[in-house]
Amino acid sequence: MSDHTHDPVDVVIAGSGIAGGTMAAELAEAGFSVLVLEAGPQRKLSEMISSQIWSRRLRWAGPEVIETGDLVGAANFAMGWGTGGAGLHWYANWYRLHPDDFRVRTLHGKSVDWPISYEDLRPWYDHAQTYFGVSGDAKADQWSPQSQPYPMPPLPISRQSQALKKGFDAVGLSLGPNSLAINSQSYDGRAGCILDGWCDAGCPIGALANPLVLQWPRAFKAGAMLRHNAYVSKITTDPSGKRATGVEYLDADGARHLQPASIVIPACHTIWNARLLLLSATDHHPDGLGNGSGLLGRHFTSHALTTIHGLFPDETEPFRGVTGANTLCLEGYDDKTPAKGAFGSRAWLAAQATKPNDLLGLALARPELYGAALDDYMRRAVRHYGNMTVLCEETSIPENRIELDSRKDRFGLPTAKVTNNLPKDNAARSDLAKAEGLKIFKAAGVSEPWAGQRAPMHMIGGTIMGDDPATSVTNSYGQTHNVENLFLAGASLFPTPGAVNPTATLVALVFRTAKYISDNRAALLR
Amino acid sequence: MNRRRFIANILRIAALFGVAPRVVAGQSQEGSRPMSLTEPEAETLSKWCDLLAPGAARAGVARYIDQNASGGFGDSMLLLRYLDSGAMLPFYRGGIAGIEQESQHRFSMGFARLDPQQSAEIVAAAAGSKTEAWTTPDPNFFYFISRSDAVDMVYGTEAGFARLDIPYLAHIAPPKPW
Repeated sequence: MSDHTHDPVDVVIAGSGIAGGTMAAELAEAGFSVLVLEAGPQRKLSEMISSQIWSRRLRWAGPEVIETGDLVGAANFAMGWGTGGAGLHWYANWYRLHPDDFRVRTLHGKSVDWPISYEDLRPWYDHAQTYFGVSGDAKADQWSPQSQPYPMPPLPISRQSQALKKGFDAVGLSLGPNSLAINSQSYDGRAGCILDGWCDAGCPIGALANPLVLQWPRAFKAGAMLRHNAYVSKITTDPSGKRATGVEYLDADGARHLQPASIVIPACHTIWNARLLLLSATDHHPDGLGNGSGLLGRHFTSHALTTIHGLFPDETEPFRGVTGANTLCLEGYDDKTPAKGAFGSRAWLAAQATKPNDLLGLALARPELYGAALDDYMRRAVRHYGNMTVLCEETSIPENRIELDSRKDRFGLPTAKVTNNLPKDNAARSDLAKAEGLKIFKAAGVSEPWAGQRAPMHMIGGTIMGDDPATSVTNSYGQTHNVENLFLAGASLFPTPGAVNPTATLVALVFRTAKYISDNRAALLR
Repeated sequence: MNRRRFIANILRIAALFGVAPRVVAGQSQEGSRPMSLTEPEAETLSKWCDLLAPGAARAGVARYIDQNASGGFGDSMLLLRYLDSGAMLPFYRGGIAGIEQESQHRFSMGFARLDPQQSAEIVAAAAGSKTEAWTTPDPNFFYFISRSDAVDMVYGTEAGFARLDIPYLAHIAPPKPW
């Protein structure tokens, strides 16, 4: 029994981040009545305080996640809390998946294929980069898939990148400008970046495309509504089990609400999309909604990340630039079998702006140092530090999964448990990349480079798309196979992760799904 | 450029003329709630963090941790919120108890009374996962988290940037360090 029942809407979306915000804006502009339920509090641009300490308030503060396996990371670090979700602290790295990433099973007999090809998604990638505003150099970026020219030229090459480029040149790899959803000049009424290195504390001037300056003004203008402190706990269905009727959510006081809707779209972070469907089990769907295949929660993937660090002879000004990366190397990305026993693509993201503290800060790059040794290192590092990150592909396997644990969260609901073990040949690929990175640093003149521990980055999968209801949770539009008016948005839909940050792909899929919903309006609203 | 605040030179000059404000351990001007930690707990934590990042005690690390571990999870500014959604204050209390336990085990006296060499031995044991009596919370994890807190206070504020002689470059400057 619900405590409060609200007026029905055409579309209810769970999550106000990049996926939910974009979907809300698109559907509201198409004439749907749209309500977004956000678990966290209201956020304003004025809360984007330039401080790694203050910025932690933007990170996840909802129910905990239990992480197990050999790729265990800081899930709370990756997720957002409040209007805009993780979109308030994302790094704006903007990449397309390679055409081969869509058919890994066909080409290599591993992972699974997508139900669509790069060419299917290409027009939506093109649209998305104009919508967000992407800076980059498509000509220098010859290893990226073909696309329209980026709307803006790249950001200037930083001193850190200049120092690193010597190493890439020496080993025969190309390091070029990064592609970013960050304005290199004024664009669409938003300011150009001033390269002060505070991206993950939020960009209040909107040079970095975030939902508070991009999607939400559009969504509000088109009439979309946004309700905060509304934690969606269940999707409700009709007696037949074939249609969703709305959602239940809990407010800040724990009171239960029922929000009727004709179309339901979970657009939460990856873990919560799968968990919400699992929590919504009924007599018709005893294992969770969209789980006719038994694969709901399965095929969870991430990117195996390794960071390379060093102190350069020249000054590098590591505190300036952008947090994501100033430069990029995708050369060799398309070679998924670089050595016997090693599998997966890899991408180098180089010269990330680094402040003294926080998880990715200078001090935690050398966690073993303390006292006077730490102080000596910090004083040198603020002038001479350089870094880069390699993302390596993780094969999509059903054993890696999101499931419900017997332990209960603060709302009394089963806790989400994530199991993520890196397949052996992916680990070998990651080791190769680490050796490559150390070699690059040495070639750049760093006498004693070091590597961080392997860690997961980006949470992907769990509600994968596919043509066959027996082997997937949704179709290529994110529409669940067995509940016709239930769609999903976000990286949880990806059958495979490639080795690049997922946001550009996630957004391209949102645009494609929004068009599909608009085109099928009458059938879906019945 | 007007929106950026370059305070490095100002603070350097203040320090040069000896006018930098003195902050007594656990009595920073930040945070107004009564302390949840007891005075001995706060002293142990202050001394511990000061060994990890010298200057942390003076910057008020004990109150920083206490206030942010005692309030609502969503309001906390501690790095611990990335890694553990459980109750924060019991974690720190457990760590402080572990330090005292190790101190009693090795030297038969409280951590506050240890000389620099003895204190350093306990820190090294936690950092190297070689504690003999202290088992929970994981000493190495407690070292990792409390070191991060100490780093926040010493290097992560506007004053910390000034100490490192780098520009802060704020879009929106913090209204206070934390």
